[in-house]
Amino acid sequence: MANDSFHGHPEVVTTHEVHHDEHHVHHHKETFITKYVFSQDHKMIAKQFLITGMIWAIMGGLMSVLFRLQLGYPDQTFPWLEDILGRWARGGKISVENYYALVTMHGTVLVFFVLTGGLSGTFANLLIPLQIGARDMASPFLNMLSYWFFFGGSIVMLASLFIQTGPFSGGWTFYPPLSALGDASPGSKAGADYWIIGMALFIISSLLGGLNYIATILNMRTKGMSMSRLPLTCWALLFTAILGVLSFPVLLSGVLLVVFDRHAGTSFYLADIFVGGKALPNEGGSAILFQHLFWFLGHPEVYIIILPAMGLVSEIMAINCRKPIFGYMAMVGSLFAIAILAFLVWAHHMFVTGLNPFLGSVFVLLTLLIAVPSAIKVFNWLTTMWRGNIRFTPAMLFAVGFVSLFISGGLTGIWLGNSTLDIHLHDTYFVIAHFHIVMGVSAFFGMFAGIYHWFPKMYGRYMNNSLAYIHFWVTLVGAYLIFWPMHYQGLAGMPRRYFDYSQWLSFSQFSDLNKFISTVAMIVFAVQLLFVFNFFYSIFKGRRVTSTNPWHATTLEWTTPVRPGHGNWPGEIPEVHRWAYDYGKDGRDFIPQTEPVGPNESKHH
Amino acid sequence: MENTHHTGGHAAAHAEEHSFDKKAIWRTFWILLIITIVELVLAILHFSTGFPPKLLLNGTFIILTLAKAFYIIAEFMHLRHEIRNMIMTIAVPALLFIWFIAAFLWDGDSYRNLRNRYDPYHKEQSMPKKAPEHEGAKPGELH
Amino acid sequence: MANVVPANQKWWTGGKSPFNVEYGKLMMWYFLMSDAFTFGAFLISYGTVRFSSNSWPDPNYVFRSFPVIGEMDIPLAFVSLMTFILIMSSVTMVLAVAAGHANDKKGVIKWMLWTILGGLAFLGCQAWEWTHLYHQGAWWGRNPFDNIDGTAASTNFTNFFFTITGFHGFHVFSGVIINIIMLIMTIKGVFERRGHYLMIEKAGLYWHFVDLVWVFVFTCFYLL
Repeated sequence: MANDSFHGHPEVVTTHEVHHDEHHVHHHKETFITKYVFSQDHKMIAKQFLITGMIWAIMGGLMSVLFRLQLGYPDQTFPWLEDILGRWARGGKISVENYYALVTMHGTVLVFFVLTGGLSGTFANLLIPLQIGARDMASPFLNMLSYWFFFGGSIVMLASLFIQTGPFSGGWTFYPPLSALGDASPGSKAGADYWIIGMALFIISSLLGGLNYIATILNMRTKGMSMSRLPLTCWALLFTAILGVLSFPVLLSGVLLVVFDRHAGTSFYLADIFVGGKALPNEGGSAILFQHLFWFLGHPEVYIIILPAMGLVSEIMAINCRKPIFGYMAMVGSLFAIAILAFLVWAHHMFVTGLNPFLGSVFVLLTLLIAVPSAIKVFNWLTTMWRGNIRFTPAMLFAVGFVSLFISGGLTGIWLGNSTLDIHLHDTYFVIAHFHIVMGVSAFFGMFAGIYHWFPKMYGRYMNNSLAYIHFWVTLVGAYLIFWPMHYQGLAGMPRRYFDYSQWLSFSQFSDLNKFISTVAMIVFAVQLLFVFNFFYSIFKGRRVTSTNPWHATTLEWTTPVRPGHGNWPGEIPEVHRWAYDYGKDGRDFIPQTEPVGPNESKHH
Repeated sequence: MENTHHTGGHAAAHAEEHSFDKKAIWRTFWILLIITIVELVLAILHFSTGFPPKLLLNGTFIILTLAKAFYIIAEFMHLRHEIRNMIMTIAVPALLFIWFIAAFLWDGDSYRNLRNRYDPYHKEQSMPKKAPEHEGAKPGELH
Repeated sequence: MANVVPANQKWWTGGKSPFNVEYGKLMMWYFLMSDAFTFGAFLISYGTVRFSSNSWPDPNYVFRSFPVIGEMDIPLAFVSLMTFILIMSSVTMVLAVAAGHANDKKGVIKWMLWTILGGLAFLGCQAWEWTHLYHQGAWWGRNPFDNIDGTAASTNFTNFFFTITGFHGFHVFSGVIINIIMLIMTIKGVFERRGHYLMIEKAGLYWHFVDLVWVFVFTCFYLL
C-alpha cells in the first residue's frame, strides 16, 4: 500500500533554494527594525533568545543570592536590602511571603525562561539550519513569532514582580490549592494570574518553535545529509522539540483548569479545604490530579533542559578530542530511549502524595530504566575523551565539567527514583542538590560550552580565554561546594523551602554550613557577571575570527562566511558526503562533511 | 490532471488522482454514520431495558469510538495514503496515550478507595441511602 | 506522468522531504498531535475525577431534550444530530480538498461554503444546548443533576462538561474562521495563482481534527 502511493507523487523539494537564490547578493532591503527587532533570520533570533535568556539568568541568579542571604544569615539584617527591595525587605530582612516569592520565581525563571527558552531557543535556532545545510528555518515567520511570544511571556512574568500583592509564591510547580485559591496567600492573588498568562504565552512560543525545529530537521536537510549523518546536536534538538510539542500542551490543560478553579467557582482540584478556619464548599476535586498533569509535562521538561546540553557537549567533545564521537548510533539510540522514557515516569515526583503504592512501584521500575541510556551516554563521552588529543578550550572544559556534573547528579537520581528511599528524602535538601547538579548546573555548563564554542560563528569574534578559564574553574568548584554539602543536609532530614532553620536543634547544627554555602553562592554569582561582561565585551572588542573554520570542525556551519548573511551561504548550499565525525582519519586531522569520499579512504559512514 | 505547474520552492504535491476518490469518502461517511447510530441504539437499549450490562456496553462504545477515529484519521485526514514513515511519526507518539490514560485512571480509582477508607464522612455522604426510589424523584432528576 | 518517483526512492538522503509533503502540512500534523495532547489531558482529567468519585450523573437523563419538542423520552437525540452535522461537514471538507486537488475553483468554493455552514450549524446547536442546560441550573460551579444512584453529585460533572465542550466549541469556532479566510482567498483567486490548493488541505486537516475530537467528547460525555 505504502509503496503504491509513491507513484504519482511528484517529488517535494523543500529547500528554499529557489526563493533565496534570486536575491542572495543584495538581501532583502533591511531596516534596523527588520534586522534587529522583528528579524526572520534564524541567527538573529538565536541571539535574541540568548540575550533575553541571559537577562533572565541574571535575575534568576540574583533571586537565589537574595534568598541564600536569608538562609545563610537568618539572624542578621541588611539595611541595604530595604534600599533596593523596598517593602519586600522591611528593616533589611526579606519577609516570609517574599522569600517564597523569590524561591518560586527563581524556579520558574530558570527552568522555563532560561534553560528551556534560552537554551534550546538559542541553539536550535542557531545550529539547526546551519548544521543541516538550510537557508533558514522551515517557516522563518513562525520562528519570529516564537521569539516574540517568548518575549511577551517574559514581560508578563516580569511584570508580576512589581504588582501590589507580589508574584506567585506557591512554588514553581504551581500546585493547587495555593495556586487555585486567591485567599491562600498574597502571591496567590493577581500574581498567580500573571504566572498563568506568562506561562501560556511561553507555551505558545515553545510550540511554534518546536514545530519549526521538527519540520526543519525532517524536511530541509541539504542533499546528502541523511539522518545518520546529522551532527548529534541536531538529533538532540530534534528530540527536545518532540518532547516539548507533546508535553507542554498537557501543562496548558492543567493550568486552564486552575483558571476555572480560580475564577469560575469550579472544583477540579479542590476538596475538603479550610481557609482561615472556614470550610470551602468545593467538593469532588483532586489536588493530586494537578500534580499528575503538571509532572506529565514536568518530567519531560527536565529532558527538554538536558538533551540540548547533551547534544552540544557531544559535538564539542568530538571536535576538541580530535576523535570521532564514540558510538554515534548508541548516542542517537539513547537519546531516543530517554525521549520515550521521559513520558512514562512522571509520577516519581509524587511518591509521597498518596499515590497508589503499587502504581508507584511501576513508576520506580520505569524510572530506574533511565539509568541505562544515561549511562550509555556517559560512557560514550568518557570513551570519546579516552586517548583523545584533547584541546582544552573553554568550551571543552565546560563540556568535561558537564559530564562530571551529570554523573554526580545522575547517581543521586537512582537513589531518589526508589519510592522507599524517597519517603525519607522527599522535599529535603537532598532533592535540591540532586536536581540542581544534574539539570541546573550541568545544563548551564552545556550552555556555556555552546556559547564559548559558537561565539565565533555568532559574532565573528572570540571570547576572552583568560576570563573564560576563571569563569570555568570558579563555577565548577563553586557548584560542587554549594550543592555537595546539601546532600548531607538532606540526609539529615533538613526540609526544603523553609524560611529559617535556626528554630530547630537538629537543623541549626548546619548554620555554619549554610553560611558557607551562601558565601560560595555569592562568589559564583559574581563570576557569572564576569562571564556576562566577557560576552558583551567580546561582541565589540573580542579578537577577530580570521578563518572560516577556527576549530577545524567538520560540520557545515563552518563552511559559511565568518559573518554569514541571511541565507547563510553566499552561493549554492553545499552537498554532504560523509558523517559529521571524521576526525583523525587516514592520517588527516579532520575531513569536512562536504568533501567527497576518496577512492582509497578507509571504511566510511 | 496533468502536473503542468511547477512552482519551485514548496513544490506542489497534488497529482494524487487515485487517492481522493469520492466513493471512498462517501463510504467512510456511511460507516461513521452507521457506527454512530449503533451507538445511539445501544445507549437507548441500555437506558430502557438495562440490557447490555454497563461494563460490556462501555467496552463496546470505546471500541466503536476507536473505529470511528481510525476512519476519520485514515480516510478524511488522508493519513492512510501517506508514506509509511510519516504514519509512524504520528502513530508512535499516539501510543503514549496508553500509559497516560492507564496511570491516571488507576490513580483516580486509588484516590477514591483511599478516601472511602480514611474519610468515613465522605463515604457516608456519597454512598446511596437505603431505597431512594420511594423518595419521589427519579435518580439523576433535577432537584 | 513525467515525474513519477520510483518506488525504490531513497527518501532520507536529504535535499527533499522524507515524507514527500511540504513543511506546512508536516507542521500542521504535528500541531494537531500537540493539540491532541491538550484535549487528551482534559478528557483524561475528566476520567480521573470520575474514577475518584463514588457515583456520577447519568448522561441519558441529562441530555434528553430537543428544541421545540422539549423534554423527549429519547435520550441523546439532539447530540446525535450534532454529531451528524459535524460528520457531514467533514465530508464536505474532504470534497473541498478533493476539488482543490483537481484545481476546481468552483468546486472548492461550493464545498467550503457547505463546510462553513455545517460548522455554524454545529455551533448553533451547541449554543442551544448550553442555554438549555443553563436554564436548568447547570453552569461552571453549579450542578443541578443528582448522581445515578440518587446521591448528591459534586459540581465536576458540569465543570468538565462546560470546560471541554467549550474548548471544543472554541476549536470549531476558530475552524470556521479559518475556513472563511480560506474561502475568501479562494474566491480572490490566491490559490489559483499559486497553482495549488495546499492551504485548503491544511485547513481541512484542522477541521477533521475537530471532528475527531468530537468523536471522543461524544463518547466520554454522552455515552460512557
